[in-house]
Amino acid sequence: MSKTGWQPGACAIAGIGTTDFTRNSGRSDLSLATQAVLAALEDAGLDASAIDGIIRCDMDLVRHNDLAEALGIRQLTYWGECGPGGVAPCAMVGQAVGAILSGQASTVVVFRALNGRSGRRYGAGSTAAGQQLAGGNGSYDEFFLPHGLLTAGQMFALMARRHMIEYSSTQEQLGSIAIACRDRALVNPAAQMYGRPLAMTDYLSARMISEPLRLFDFCLETDGAAAVVVTGTERARDCKNGAALIHAVAQASVPGTQPGVMFPVLMRDSITALSSRAVADVLWSRSRLGPADVDVAQLYDCFTITLLLQLEDYGFAKRGEGGAFAADGGIGLTGQLPCNTSGGHLSEAYIHGMNHVVEAVRQVRGTSTAQVPGAEVSLVTSAPPPASSALILTADR
Amino acid sequence: MSAAPGPDQLTLPPLAPVTDDPDTGGFFAAAADGQVALRYCTDCGGLLHLPRAYCSHCGSWNTGYRIVAPRARVYSWTVVEHQIHPAYPVPYTVALVELAEEPTARLVSFLPGRPELYAGQELHAWFEPLADGGTLVQWRPAAGQGGELR
Repeated sequence: MSKTGWQPGACAIAGIGTTDFTRNSGRSDLSLATQAVLAALEDAGLDASAIDGIIRCDMDLVRHNDLAEALGIRQLTYWGECGPGGVAPCAMVGQAVGAILSGQASTVVVFRALNGRSGRRYGAGSTAAGQQLAGGNGSYDEFFLPHGLLTAGQMFALMARRHMIEYSSTQEQLGSIAIACRDRALVNPAAQMYGRPLAMTDYLSARMISEPLRLFDFCLETDGAAAVVVTGTERARDCKNGAALIHAVAQASVPGTQPGVMFPVLMRDSITALSSRAVADVLWSRSRLGPADVDVAQLYDCFTITLLLQLEDYGFAKRGEGGAFAADGGIGLTGQLPCNTSGGHLSEAYIHGMNHVVEAVRQVRGTSTAQVPGAEVSLVTSAPPPASSALILTADR
Repeated sequence: MSAAPGPDQLTLPPLAPVTDDPDTGGFFAAAADGQVALRYCTDCGGLLHLPRAYCSHCGSWNTGYRIVAPRARVYSWTVVEHQIHPAYPVPYTVALVELAEEPTARLVSFLPGRPELYAGQELHAWFEPLADGGTLVQWRPAAGQGGELR
């Protein structure tokens, strides 16, 4: 990345913060965002006056000026947004780095806030009550919604079935992913599923939502927010908890990426490989690292199958063997690739990929509730559809 | 096995597709005529699916719809058991199909209930006119089992 002006570790995450994770916050999205950013500033030992940049997710209800006003920021010199949705978090961190390295900002807040349970529930699909017509305006929804394909979960169920067709993957393999994430949440008091163990019999006896995906193949719905403070590494080193070095970040699309927001990805050449296969190529190339170098990973897990597919896309498992990798303990705390150590979307909270960035920082600091001993290379992914981004953090030692 | 439909479920029609989009409308115009049509480049013959006006293969704006055989194969499917929308009472099945003449082109179909499906299974198109306008291209097993009634 040196050719482009990027220097590994030139910028760092200096502060992390979250709200509590609940089903009914009783607070506005703006209050949640404010609370998470204040926590991240406190963690860094910085005042709101230090912030001159804000990056938001395109699906957030909180705009940059809302947050600036709420925090009493005197002047922003940069703002931006990424998306769509869960694709954003790692790319948002990348955009913050871009703003800092180009001199447009010095200290940038990256946040995601949502009342995902008490407010708009993404699992309910995008169709509005009383809606009669679907599609048009470049959405391509006219090819999908009228046929009853209404939600992301149903789309990922088609991907899971296809993976079973091509590679004989099993429901128990998907279950092992749900259970691994739950096991991490059992020791994370902040997790929504803290103290609620999940056994394979529980997984298999749970109700079917969209076959072959059952209840625990689906992530949580959460009211909450998460934020990080990105700044130059020298400044981050002066902060209270030091610097989590931003080693590399990548966004990438695949050829034949397809238009629209979500369902058109079913038209791609393969639905058992995601756009993360392209992100992996860019990320490994830029970072000069490979799958074997990663100590711990927070893989975007809107569904169990999403995590499974990324194990293959990033090269941790051979194509078709992601399920076996997980079922054999590969993603467990003592496995080859400890994953989603806070519990992830499946068992900690659904902050649309942002809680994964926060947990990745904890791992290089050594402060996770499910700490991987000596973790130095920490991967985060922000996942598809219809594109992906990813981030590698390294310990400052 | 499913509960009887509630009153809302009996009265709500399925979502109708927008049929006058400048890029995709030709697909639905063909459907209204009982045909399956895909968009192609008239200069280089490249397939443009999902449909759009510009050919990324050769740079031409001369693109249009061509009728293809109304046959397809099962690529994947899901049985929806958790209801999302009152117009789509569960259980029902969404199939992802690949067209027999254009295996790289896929479409989705509604099938009632929990039909027995398998990968590669042959499907034939049928055309479902909606009360509010628009016609959907739906697919069912070639032998004819799997009713068209919702």
